[in-house]
Amino acid sequence: MKSNNIHQEAYRHNLSYNTRRHFLRECRTGMGMLALGSLLDGCNFFSNAENELLAKNPLAAKPSPLLGKAKSVIFLHMAGAPSQLEMFDYKPELQKMDGMDCPDSFIQGKKFAFIRGVPKLLGPQASFKQYGESGIWLSNHMQHFQSVVDEVSLLKAVSTDQFNHAPAQLLMHCGTPRLGRPSMGSWVTYGLGSENSNLPGFVVLTSGGRNPDAGKSVWGSGFLPSVYQGVQCRSEGDPVLFLKDPNGYDRDLRKSSIETINKVNELSYEEYKDPEILSRISQYEMAFKMQIAVPDVMNISDEPAYIHELYGTKPGKESFANNVLLARKLVEKGVRFVQLFDWGWDSHGTDPGTALDQGFVEKCRENDQAVSALLIDLKQRGLLDETLVVWGGEFGRTPMQENRDGKQNSFKGRDHHSDAFCMWMAGAGIKKGFTYGETDPIGYNPIEGKVTVHDIQATILQQLGFDHTAFTYPFQGRNFRLTDVFGKVIDPIIS
Amino acid sequence: MPAFLKSTGFISISICVFLLLGYFVFIREEKVDYNADVKPIINQKCISCHGGVKKKAGFSLLFEEEALAATESGKPAIIPGDAKNSEMIRRLYSKDPDERMPYHEAELSDHKKRILEKWIDQGAHFSTHWAYQPVNLTTLPSKSIFDLFKKESGTEIDRFIDQKLKSIGLERSLEADKRTLLRRVSLDLIGIPAPQHVQLAFLKDSSKESYERLVDTLLSLPAYGERWTAMWMDLARYADSKGYERDYIRSIWRYRDWLINAFNQDKPYNQFITEQLAGDLLPDPTDDQFLATAFHRNTMNNDEGGTDNEEFRTAAILDRVNTTWEALLGTSFACVQCHSHPYDPFKHDEYYKFMAFFNNTRDEDTYDEYPLLREFRNNSIHQYDSVLNWLQTSSDANAKQFYKTLIKTGQQCINSLIADSLNNAALEDTKFLRMRKNAWARIKQIGLSNKQTLLIRYRSPVDRGVLTFFADSSKTKAFAVANINKTKDGWNIISIPISQKLDGRHDIVFHFDSPQLKNENENGIVFDWLCFAPSFPGSANKDFKAYQTTFLQLLNKPDAELTPIMMDNPSELKRNTYVFERGNWLLKTKQVEPDIPSIFNPQKNKYANRLDLAKWMTDKSNPLTSRTMVNRLWEQLFGQGLVETLEDFGSQGAAPTHQSLLDYLSYQFMNQDQWSIKKLLKRMVMSATYRQSSVSDKKSQELDPLNKYYSHAPRVRLTAEQIRDQALVICGAINNKMFGPSVMPFQPDGIWASPYDGRKWEQSKGDEIYRRAIYTYWKRTGPYPTQINFDGTAREVCTSRRIRTNTPLQALNLLNDSTYWDLSVKLAKKIMDEKPASIELSISKAYEAATGKIPNAAKIQTLKILYIASYKNISSQPEKTSQLIADSTIKKNKQLAAMAITTSAILNLDEVITKN
Repeated sequence: MKSNNIHQEAYRHNLSYNTRRHFLRECRTGMGMLALGSLLDGCNFFSNAENELLAKNPLAAKPSPLLGKAKSVIFLHMAGAPSQLEMFDYKPELQKMDGMDCPDSFIQGKKFAFIRGVPKLLGPQASFKQYGESGIWLSNHMQHFQSVVDEVSLLKAVSTDQFNHAPAQLLMHCGTPRLGRPSMGSWVTYGLGSENSNLPGFVVLTSGGRNPDAGKSVWGSGFLPSVYQGVQCRSEGDPVLFLKDPNGYDRDLRKSSIETINKVNELSYEEYKDPEILSRISQYEMAFKMQIAVPDVMNISDEPAYIHELYGTKPGKESFANNVLLARKLVEKGVRFVQLFDWGWDSHGTDPGTALDQGFVEKCRENDQAVSALLIDLKQRGLLDETLVVWGGEFGRTPMQENRDGKQNSFKGRDHHSDAFCMWMAGAGIKKGFTYGETDPIGYNPIEGKVTVHDIQATILQQLGFDHTAFTYPFQGRNFRLTDVFGKVIDPIIS
Repeated sequence: MPAFLKSTGFISISICVFLLLGYFVFIREEKVDYNADVKPIINQKCISCHGGVKKKAGFSLLFEEEALAATESGKPAIIPGDAKNSEMIRRLYSKDPDERMPYHEAELSDHKKRILEKWIDQGAHFSTHWAYQPVNLTTLPSKSIFDLFKKESGTEIDRFIDQKLKSIGLERSLEADKRTLLRRVSLDLIGIPAPQHVQLAFLKDSSKESYERLVDTLLSLPAYGERWTAMWMDLARYADSKGYERDYIRSIWRYRDWLINAFNQDKPYNQFITEQLAGDLLPDPTDDQFLATAFHRNTMNNDEGGTDNEEFRTAAILDRVNTTWEALLGTSFACVQCHSHPYDPFKHDEYYKFMAFFNNTRDEDTYDEYPLLREFRNNSIHQYDSVLNWLQTSSDANAKQFYKTLIKTGQQCINSLIADSLNNAALEDTKFLRMRKNAWARIKQIGLSNKQTLLIRYRSPVDRGVLTFFADSSKTKAFAVANINKTKDGWNIISIPISQKLDGRHDIVFHFDSPQLKNENENGIVFDWLCFAPSFPGSANKDFKAYQTTFLQLLNKPDAELTPIMMDNPSELKRNTYVFERGNWLLKTKQVEPDIPSIFNPQKNKYANRLDLAKWMTDKSNPLTSRTMVNRLWEQLFGQGLVETLEDFGSQGAAPTHQSLLDYLSYQFMNQDQWSIKKLLKRMVMSATYRQSSVSDKKSQELDPLNKYYSHAPRVRLTAEQIRDQALVICGAINNKMFGPSVMPFQPDGIWASPYDGRKWEQSKGDEIYRRAIYTYWKRTGPYPTQINFDGTAREVCTSRRIRTNTPLQALNLLNDSTYWDLSVKLAKKIMDEKPASIELSISKAYEAATGKIPNAAKIQTLKILYIASYKNISSQPEKTSQLIADSTIKKNKQLAAMAITTSAILNLDEVITKN
């Protein structure tokens, strides 16, 4: 209950910041006389510093209610749902049963997105070996990951209850399969603010040329104030929308125009005594600072050659690898939550791009190098201890070959599977080189260590210092939480 | 003063104090107010364990009958009239930490304990929460003797406001200056600055009635409807796309236009909501009445392949329930979906009884979003008229009505996706029924009485197909057979005669095959829908064939605007409604019939359908409808509601700051104003409370920092729509064209990137890009950035209140978005074209255009410094002029470029984006 109260308090402060005249009540001495730039700092002399921070800046860094290991999160989402059976979940039995009709017991009463009638089982389209001291099984598509496998906790029996992309992605990020709720990154920035006032607290990077199926709602702020929504940073065009001045402006022109706006606003403040004007002045100052800070952090061309070699990055093009490197740069600068979406993992086997032995292999190759590089890089910078890295898709894929509308697909592919799939977490107090959960011999159902999407969320929140059952926001007459009424922290993977 | 007078005075004062004190104590002793005193304690301290969700030890304080009933111990915890022997009170005082309540929480204060004791001693009477009590005529606060001598006497509203202000030691401010008031009331009533001639007329008019004349003029302008439509679109969760995944286009802008017209015609609010909830159920509905029902067709649709249509149909129905409550009844009903309301008197199954009103509509999450109203254009109008005339000649009333509805709405059709028992057939992408070689499918229990014709909408990739229909079993004789050939341009509709007389309901079993299908997996016919119809009338007439052909053409390829609307199922497709256990749609329990919550229905009246529902909602005895709308309009004008939580009037929502004012206005709205929104708005903006200055002073900031009591007018940042529209007007760019499909003004690249959706944001041509914000295309998963930056939502669900924020992204948006830079150049050009005598004058003009006010010298001076710095900067690098002014139609010079930098700064000023 204690932490709950803190957040209720924070919420109330935010509301007063957003909608009300809270500011003046707390800070009423000679505001208008202070010079621009020190307008807001002046306030701290007068009252409780923490409350003041909240009142004037909803994104100010706030302490977490409990002791948290993670300062930042990098969530790598493979949109479309990668096949666990070709990456992490080694099933020699399935190999033996390749081409056989799927046993009735697996399909009785089940709903699939596309499989109809009786499909055939499909053996792993990869070879597996054990790696590291932990002896975790990895496929031959994971050449680089072999070297970092001892850093991660692999969850082999994750389960969801959604088997369509958009609802499953919403469940993964917003805790519900429907639209309209805040995303995890919004919750976290609402609870913790941002460490860097020149950068957004919650940054989203997409690759693969497409947004995820659930669209921008997976980084939306739902019923939280819109200031907490994810800011999409782009590798082409403006890194943040409207960051670049109109053509013909230079830094001097922008500086004098913002100074002018703020000076006239100060004069308006003299007239109306409306504290909201003071907030506006500080927001224009911050906009000015962001114009430098964001392009700076988004520019990867200054990185040394060995880094580019490590990640497989090529400056100037939109790629997953570039985004992974950016994610490292962003957390290094204090961004709280970095969300990556990579499009193209929906391996149905309807065309070469979605074939497990063609397009999928290509996706793995790019993913494997960049993701492994991220763990190495974070570790060598001492950031892995305070950065939680999460990797996964919105669900898994069936051990059966897809037979869309009852017909065998032309390429090797698998349908959506909600009962069992793999994700991994690393860093920030997560056990190293550990496997949790097992599935049955064909990888269809969890047989032990089953965890749900809400469990993943509860665990992420815990590592950030939140009790997920107490971290709530009142809306429509009830207290909502990210994990709804579900979720249990996955204790076995906590070190 | 003589001593005896002094002492008399002392005595009389003492008596007064004594009497007052006695009165106070007497009242407090005699009557504990359940709502004011008891309910807050219960809600805060007891109900989370003893309420709607949990009933620890079998004790609940939510409903009177529950609270007084026996608990698990076998005895009631409350014995009315006997606090001492009531277990509930004993537990408050217990020394045993496991017994003492609240359980393992801080002990109640003595004051609170005594309130609960007194309440029980006085009989433990429950009373209804204020918002659920009917709206009664309120008496006006009396005018004090001083008020009578005041220069501005104010309206009835002001008497309520003044009464409260006085009680906290504050006073209303003086009226704002004319220019401020002009801008404020214009932005509030029409969303943009008033047209130039209206402004001039008002500023020149020094008569007492000038303000009222201005208000009347504004209320009569077409822009009025556009402004209030912007508000309603958030409630209706209006969007031009379907929602999930590819988030494909939805053509529902005719509903937006319906709203504009409804507001402009000042459609009475009771009629306004009746038509939106149940326009289709009114007798012989007009196109407009059908269109109104699109209100609830703004729910999201999921086109993603492999989705369960019933799941997303159900989600849409739940959303309609929640939206109806939140938008129209100011009540958060969503929690009752999973369990009885924890704080308010709504029971779990009442949610589903209410859902039953909506659960019987035709829409089934189909790809084409049936049913669709067809508004014919061009030649189709003539075809429609001629077919209607033809139908008029028929004596078969049933057939006449059937065909009219079919042509107008495409109903009653059976969507192919409800087919089952598929054999070598499939629900392709879970959208349409596909049949392959030698394929079978079934549709259950269809009424075939008086049906002589079968219409099907289909596509076929093969020729020489044969489609055969059987009643109940393939062993029976086929009742309809059709030869199917390859379709050329998309869907085709054909009419197949039914060769048998089949009464009652039957399973429709059908078969498809074609010799062109070489193997099992090759694709055959795909169905959109089937329709069992009476014979097309007039078969005896010689022109029958010609008219039937026209009819089929009209049905098949109408030149028409199609808009999703609400319609109910025919009886054979009627759905039953069940209570979902813990809100899970797969766990259906008890079956329920439509009804309103019992607290609102003590007479146990029958409410059978959406029209009955609308009648209840618009009945003057409904305690919520009028209050909700009054509060909403108040919030739009004053920046906060009389009840702050617009979405929740329940006992967990904010208490009203001025309950009697809310009730007064709600009563007048229903009775005096006959639900006229314009009259209600006029009441509000005519008040001195609305007209006062927004300058605040130290005293009011100390005593009422949130300005809840309106000692001065609020300063509120403009909405996303107002910011855009105002800028268009200020810069002279606005295109006042009304209505029509949504348009695409400038938007940076890369905002739209939905999967499987090849559509691109294609900037509209010419001055279509300068239309008001309500016409901007709204894609849910890629909303227009300015809307989102300025606190708009994605319109996924109903939004009652936009929470205002103040962020650097807003600054960047106004500073750098090409839209605003382009407008800054336009404003600069407009000013320079007038060839003003000095820079100061230019700046003053620009500022006046933007704010309606003439700036003081300090502001002009500050802006002039920017102009001069810009001019110098540009002069040093001549190429900048043409970079800054990209528009090839504008003659470029350094002065203009420097002025554009200055006008851009002006468009960013707090005074410009705030209602003063």
